[in-house]
Amino acid sequence: MEKRLIKKEALVGILKKIGETSTVFAPVRVEDNVLFKELEPHEEPLIDYLNTKNAPKGVFFPRTEVMLRYVRTPKGTVLKGVELAAGEVVLFGVRPCDARSFALLDMLFDQEKYKDPYYIAKREKAIVVTLSCHQIPYATCFCTSVGGDPVDSAGSDVLLTEIGDEYLVEFLTPKGEKLAAFFGGAPATAEAEKKKEEVSLKAKNAIASRIPAQEIKSFLDANFDHPFWDTIHKRCLACGTCTYLCPTCHCFDISDEMKYDDGRRLRNWDSCMYPLFTKETSGHNPRPTQKERWRQRVMHKFKYYVDNFSAIACVGCGRCVMYCPVNIDIRKIVEDISKLQ
Amino acid sequence: MQNPYVPYPVEVIKIVTEVDTKDIKTFRLAFVNKEDEEKFKYLPGQFAELSLFGKGESPIGIASSPTNPGYVEFTVQKAGVVTTALHEMEEGTIMGIRGPLGNSWPLDYLEGKNVVVVGGGFAFTTLRALTQYMIHEENRKKYGKITVIYGARTPGLLIYKDELAAWSKRDDLDLHVTVDKGDENWKGREGFVPTVCKEVAPSAQNAVAVICGPPIMIRFTLPVFFELGFSKENIYTSLEMRMKCGIGKCGRCNVGSKYVCKDGPVFSLAELDKLTPEY
Repeated sequence: MEKRLIKKEALVGILKKIGETSTVFAPVRVEDNVLFKELEPHEEPLIDYLNTKNAPKGVFFPRTEVMLRYVRTPKGTVLKGVELAAGEVVLFGVRPCDARSFALLDMLFDQEKYKDPYYIAKREKAIVVTLSCHQIPYATCFCTSVGGDPVDSAGSDVLLTEIGDEYLVEFLTPKGEKLAAFFGGAPATAEAEKKKEEVSLKAKNAIASRIPAQEIKSFLDANFDHPFWDTIHKRCLACGTCTYLCPTCHCFDISDEMKYDDGRRLRNWDSCMYPLFTKETSGHNPRPTQKERWRQRVMHKFKYYVDNFSAIACVGCGRCVMYCPVNIDIRKIVEDISKLQ
Repeated sequence: MQNPYVPYPVEVIKIVTEVDTKDIKTFRLAFVNKEDEEKFKYLPGQFAELSLFGKGESPIGIASSPTNPGYVEFTVQKAGVVTTALHEMEEGTIMGIRGPLGNSWPLDYLEGKNVVVVGGGFAFTTLRALTQYMIHEENRKKYGKITVIYGARTPGLLIYKDELAAWSKRDDLDLHVTVDKGDENWKGREGFVPTVCKEVAPSAQNAVAVICGPPIMIRFTLPVFFELGFSKENIYTSLEMRMKCGIGKCGRCNVGSKYVCKDGPVFSLAELDKLTPEY
């Protein structure tokens, strides 16, 4: 695994070069928000930011995507084509928590038996360049409680860690090494690696918010029915913001759209917070109120995903905490559950 | 990589209106491309997404048995957007199917055992597939006594009437058809399915019960089987949930950590006991 040292000020130039041959997604300031989006020719990526408002999962699992197109013929409506469009893409400035979400989503979309070709096609063509967190984190950051850390490399192909006025660049995968020529720089020194350890330790200690996320599994295993489930949902507006901003939420809907003789089948993000999510044609709904929907959200993240993939489906980015319009805090839910044991 | 979201094109080659209310029809579909039929290798108890471009998809249990090659059948009640469009279709139309999806009835486990098939109303479809499979000449010797108890509210609501008439003449199948209330032409049995199960009283000795029907029927039928001595390991049923992808990705049909679409739809009561009661 190759490691290099580059000057901080060289980074934007390197990205510009990469952008000449690949589509680059990066954090960009858009009005009052920092968004993770495709870099337009006139745009510069942000280097100093804490995290983007939206999670970068949308590059592999877009909010809306065309799955296939079809056309009406006298004998019926028939398939016209399948859209697996995927060009070379570089994701720059992903935070370690969000990069970890790719590793978690891979477990679901790239299973042995059922593979999701739309996700996989995009993921395979993409190189993830992650920027370690070294600055004072958000008060809502809790990556260290769910298996991550501010300098974690899971899900990344290249990891950049700021040390003084330089970046330590670690090429972690063969895909990541493809970018080595763009970065240039000097070979990393032992001193730089030691410095990275210091940065890492400091950053880890700076994450003040800690929750017993692993410890509540045994309670969840045994308490599908518990009075506690009546206490979370009452102020929830079912707006779905938490699920749309969540880097690991992956639920989707499939719908059809037709205009004259041409049509397309789309996949759109969906949310377990919505009443219609599980409502059947008969009118029966296995999750009839917001209570059951919240239980599903907590169970899915901290029990079901653990049962199926041995990993918590939360990366501790804190977006759901920060943007919930009624201040529902997943950290408090987890803490409250831990006190019930 | 096979794209599991792309349906195989099929032609509707036969449509049978099953009930006098005309809202349940059986669609016989033949693969447009012969090689797709090879890929669509299924077992009784599995389901497929019926795919109507421009309308959407609907997950429906396969009503035919692989022992009848050349076509796949689905019995569909007219209820939502997709099934209503399906009911308006004519023979000769091209549509799509995606699958086969899910597990199947426990065919290996049923071998060497007596099998009691209990169905209610329109939920008889994959049970019909199972029965067809078991009584097929190449398979019949693998199974012990086969008892089929099937009921509907009225004679006009019984599905597969011709097939039931043919089965009633067989001596290797113990068939009991009942209706909640008969009409002037009905000469058969009257009574609810649970009551008929009690009367028929199939032995639990080396036997497995496979039960599908409306929730109310299931609720009253299960105690009868427990009383007859059937253990939870030897009672199987099939669940339904709202579904989209059918392959455990879209996230809506889970019961606990299991997805009905890929880990089910068939579960034993013992397996269901371990899951959360959210279905």
